[in-house]
This record gives sequence, structure tokens and C-alpha cells, in this order.
Amino acid sequence: MINLQAIDPRLSRFDPLERVFFYDDFDEGIRGWSELIGNYEHSLDSMLPEYSDMRPPMLSNLSMWDTGTAGSMEGSYALKLATRARAGSLATSIKRQTFRRRGQIQLECYFTFKPEASELRLSLDDVRAFGVLFDLQDGMNPEFRWMPHLRYLNAVEDEMINRWQVKGQTRPFHNIGDSGETVSHFHLGPENWDFVDCPAQTLCYNEIATKMNWHYLKVKLDLAKRRFIGFQCNDLVYAGEALKHISIPAMPNLNCMLNTAFWVETNRDKRAFLYVDSVLLSGVF
Amino acid sequence: MAVRRSYTAIVERNVEWSGEFATEPYEAAWASEAIFFVRALEVSPDFDGGLAYVQISADGIHWADEGSEFDLPTKKNAVTFCKVRHFGGFLRIRGVTGGKTSLVVLVSLALKE
Repeated sequence: MINLQAIDPRLSRFDPLERVFFYDDFDEGIRGWSELIGNYEHSLDSMLPEYSDMRPPMLSNLSMWDTGTAGSMEGSYALKLATRARAGSLATSIKRQTFRRRGQIQLECYFTFKPEASELRLSLDDVRAFGVLFDLQDGMNPEFRWMPHLRYLNAVEDEMINRWQVKGQTRPFHNIGDSGETVSHFHLGPENWDFVDCPAQTLCYNEIATKMNWHYLKVKLDLAKRRFIGFQCNDLVYAGEALKHISIPAMPNLNCMLNTAFWVETNRDKRAFLYVDSVLLSGVF
Repeated sequence: MAVRRSYTAIVERNVEWSGEFATEPYEAAWASEAIFFVRALEVSPDFDGGLAYVQISADGIHWADEGSEFDLPTKKNAVTFCKVRHFGGFLRIRGVTGGKTSLVVLVSLALKE
């Protein structure tokens, strides 16, 4: 491993593979993390309704009503995803790239999540879940599009869950519009999530909704073998059997796709927030 | 020379406003200028206009009128806008459509350092 600390002290908190593909510190701007939208044809009304309102990301300095600005982990600004104040509302942000070689890739980030501080109470179970997903397709002569999803299920209604989950199946594809050229499928619904074979993990919440502690997440994939190898969140390391992922036949215009997305889902009629201080995607390529 | 950073957020898309409305809170402490654009995707036949008001907030929860107001568009694909400066941290617009009339909007918030 090269000595990244000698190059940039901000990178010394990451454990990248041999080449850095992108490193996004949101003090420098939005850096390609856009709102996710569903496919449509002729009219926005043709979109699957689940995709119609996935909320724009923003740059937040974590300003709280009671203590003012916290800033991000490393600087002033973090990427912020904010749901609507409606139970089940999702906010999603995606970065769209392509790859040049089917090697291993690894995503690392520092994140935190909270409900909106609109009530003066613990609010521990107000965020339902957050997660990271990849949307990938082979390059030349592709066989598969595959979509590893990893989410932390914090709570469902009044029950704390605190478990990591993966998803092995998406919903059926729908034709969009009338040309026969456009399809869509919704893959972030509440169904078909399986618990990862690892202990529950209670992430540091820190008592009230205006105190944020930053967490580390690392996810590793093998593009050549189409394997979801494992992940680490703080001191929890999953290195067991390859994890389940969504796999579907390759699609006509997605070759070499390397999309990465974050999302957050609220458990109450209250906004849920996911903040990402910085994200680094490295690989062997 | 470094260029100025800018970002456009679509704060509402294909949403119907009928009666009172308010956009979701949007954080923009990094920006020094903003423009709210409201484009009418559909307008009900009897829609006779309305006003939108800019609001600011220190925390995204408690809101105050900023003082700027602007007309809502009255024809399909018409666009109205409002420029805002010196707004602190959070921005939104609120307003009301008249009677039982409605319009379907796409609201863009264009921000610049």
C-alpha cells in the first residue's frame, strides 16, 4: 500500500485499493452527486410513481437550532439527503461513471444520519433506513446488469432493528411510454431485503437529534466475478460468503456502467437526513 | 482564476399546487445568490394567478418571510422567477392559489457562490 498520508492527510483515514477512481470531499462542491429520477417518455407522468420524488441533494454545514453550525467531519460542508416529512419517503443521490477494467472496486465514506430536530425528544427510531447501492453492467459482450444493495435498517415503526441487509431481487420491469424503447423497475421498495449474517450493530446516536457522530463505511465488490465481497462499518467487519445482489440480463445501453448511490428513508411523518462528509472509490484497474 | 461554484436543485417536480403550498427546506449557506424559477407544467382552466413568498430560516424548521414575492405563472410552460440575496442558511417559497384553482409546477432553485 502506498503512503497516502504523505500525499494528503485527508486521505489517511481511508484504506483505498491501489488506485483512487474518485475522491469527493463535499467542501469542494456537489461533485457529480445528482438526484435520482426514474425513466420517462413524453411526459413526467409516465414515470413509475416511486421514482417521481427522490429529492435533490444539497450541501449542508449541519446547522442546528440549538447549537448552531457543527460543520462536516473534515471542513464545512457535507452532502445531505433529506426526505419529505412523510413516512416511507426516500431521498436518493447518485453518481454516474463507467469503468475501464473489470477489477475489484471499493467504496469508503464517512457518514451520519439523523431525523429533523423538530421535536424535543430522543427520536431514535424516526429514521427507517439508509444505504448504498451500485448499479453495474459488464462491458464488451455483457451478460448481466447487477446491483449490490446494502442498507442499515434502523427501525420499523416502533421497533428498533439495527441490522444490515442486502437485496437479491428487484420488482418486475414495466414498459414506460409507447415506443417500446424505455423500461423501468423500482428496486428500493421495502420487500426482498435479507439480513446479513452478522450481529446487530447499534451505531452511536448520541442522545438528541442535533448531535451527529460520523461513521465509517467500506464496501468491496469484484466486477470480474460479479461478487459483493463484503463490508465494514466502524468496528463491524463482514468478510463471510459473498453477499446476495440483484442480477438481471444485460440491457442495451448500459455497458461498463459504474453507478453509486446513497439513500435514506424516513420511518415517521418527519424528515430523515443522511449526511456524507466524503466518499472515496478506489480499485484495481 | 477559479470559477464560481453553482448548483441548480429541482425542489418540486410535477407537483400540483392547490390552496396553500410550501417547498421543502433547501440548505444553501454556501451560496450568496439564488433564483427561484417556477414553471407551470399544467394550469387549471380557471386559474387566475397567485403569489409566492420567499422565506428564510436559520434551522430549516422555523421560517420567516424574507420580503420578496412574485407572481405564479398563469399559462402552461410560462416561467416566473424571484432573485434573492443575503439569505443565510435555508430557503423555501410558500404561497396559496386562489379558490379551487391549481397548477402543476416544476420549481428550480439556481444557486451561485
